[in-house]
Amino acid sequence: MELEPKLTFNRLAFSFMLGILVLAATIIACSLIGEKTISLANLLENSSSNVDYEIFYQIRLPRVILAAVVGAALAACGAVLQALLKNPLADPYILGISSGAGVGAMFASLAGLQFTFLGRGPIAICAFIGAFITVWLVWTIGSLADRRNTTGLLLAGVVVNAFFSAIIMFMVSVAKSQDVQTTMVWLMGNISEEKISTVLTMAGATFVSLILLMRLAPSLNLLSFSESQAKTIGVNTAKVRFFAFLIAAFITSIAVSLSGLIGFVGLIVPHAVRLVSGPDHRKLLPMTAISGAVFMVIADTIARIAISPAQLPVGILTAILGGPFFIVLLIKNSRKTSLI
Amino acid sequence: MTAINVENLNFAYNDESIISSLSFTVDQGDFLAIAGPNGAGKSSLLNLLIGQLEPSNGNISLMNANLSDYNHKELARKIAIVRQEFVPAFGFTVYDTVMMARTPFFNILGFESSRDRKIVDASLEATGVLHLAQRELNHISGGERQRVFIARALAQDTPIILLDEPTSFLDLKHQIGIYDLLKEMQLESGKTIITVTHDLNLAAQYCDKVLLLGYRDKYHIGEPQDLFVEKKISEIFSVEGTSAIIDGKYIFMPEGRLSGKRKAQ
Repeated sequence: MELEPKLTFNRLAFSFMLGILVLAATIIACSLIGEKTISLANLLENSSSNVDYEIFYQIRLPRVILAAVVGAALAACGAVLQALLKNPLADPYILGISSGAGVGAMFASLAGLQFTFLGRGPIAICAFIGAFITVWLVWTIGSLADRRNTTGLLLAGVVVNAFFSAIIMFMVSVAKSQDVQTTMVWLMGNISEEKISTVLTMAGATFVSLILLMRLAPSLNLLSFSESQAKTIGVNTAKVRFFAFLIAAFITSIAVSLSGLIGFVGLIVPHAVRLVSGPDHRKLLPMTAISGAVFMVIADTIARIAISPAQLPVGILTAILGGPFFIVLLIKNSRKTSLI
Repeated sequence: MTAINVENLNFAYNDESIISSLSFTVDQGDFLAIAGPNGAGKSSLLNLLIGQLEPSNGNISLMNANLSDYNHKELARKIAIVRQEFVPAFGFTVYDTVMMARTPFFNILGFESSRDRKIVDASLEATGVLHLAQRELNHISGGERQRVFIARALAQDTPIILLDEPTSFLDLKHQIGIYDLLKEMQLESGKTIITVTHDLNLAAQYCDKVLLLGYRDKYHIGEPQDLFVEKKISEIFSVEGTSAIIDGKYIFMPEGRLSGKRKAQ
């Protein structure tokens, strides 16, 4: 009997190209939809006085690409953390990123900071710094508590999250309400119009990081079994674990600084993709990134038009859509041990 | 040629001596069983042999070179280990799992070569799980899964394979099946096999040498006929019992305080 592995490079390349096409089509379609619908024919005329052209390229497309970047980052990081922590309930925020970002953002608005860096305001920059410092803190506590296992890391994440949430509550209770309001709306998860140069910088950083994560995919397969086994097979587990966490924390922090806290994407998308593509991280990571991007673009478009001209924070929408979807997924697959 | 040479090995954990003054040699192509009471350091010994624990004192050499001279990648080409394994929640297939042994040899895109595929096919065939190749790891029986993990160790293509209680959750038929498989690997491929076990009688039937590892510096190593003398086994395990030879096979039957008692009529 001649055996073929489930995943070959050609099959992966095919799925990847197909995914990219779907993503591109979604991005273009969603950029046409909005309060004012843009026709594709109008767009292709390409004259400088064309209002549709302006709306499409200056306003909608940057926002839609931003949504795609955030979705891809959160979903891929969710898959990576689920493998590293051997925990199907892990998501990108599990290492305290959400509360760390929250403290940073809260600090920025209470201190009344005024500056921009790479086109981003003080709330976003401080959230990024807060998120990154928190991950470092969780990592340090985790490895002090439990060098060989991931349980220490998981517990450190939970405890640091709780601690910083308390600090956020404290800040909310002593602050003036209009200062808090901005930050709270931001924290709810919101994708807004950005300059295309900002969007492309972030997209570039995320893309490069995702490629680096994909290089670690075969080792992640082994790590989702056991660290000591991976080591005896010849994988430098300490290095892989460190870099996977570092890169995941980096792109999650970027996503948080772009859009605040958008829940459920990093939890649900990896699971949904795993059901279709299987657990092999060589395929799971790219497909999760693409699916996360598509999901986020669609969710943000709904958030844009649902109660137009007002806008819904997309974080609320992903939780409202994602929660029930996840429960359905869970029940449908309850007989399959492969899910949980 | 010597596969493993352990010289005056000492290992302490939290200042408590677990292994002291242990010396033994395993020749290439030998089948060695390690048996002993709980906490005597059997698993520690395995972890010392694969370099995941550091000896407090003494020397371990592997294929005539010092263990500490190997980096983890080189070591992975000399020695493979089958443990009681965590099975991930994600549905990896049998084929995927065995192919993971080839991870260090994957190309830059993270894919296997045709040589890797040949090795995996041969390993699945040798362990009798070829027909399960596309099944999910958590949809097969415990005995089959143990074979898959042995297949993965085999696919690592190392001269030495260690096993940590490979038969502990298996019924009699599957226990024998695993030992037959290990013996086949020894006789046909010339592998050096070291297994930790609690089953002295199976060990005596299949292994060339047995290491009885007792507490602190107590240990015996030798062929079954030298070890299956009541005093040696009793001394190591602190149990009474009887040794016998039945049809040329060595048997040890432990006896407890109430062994053989029947309920009153």
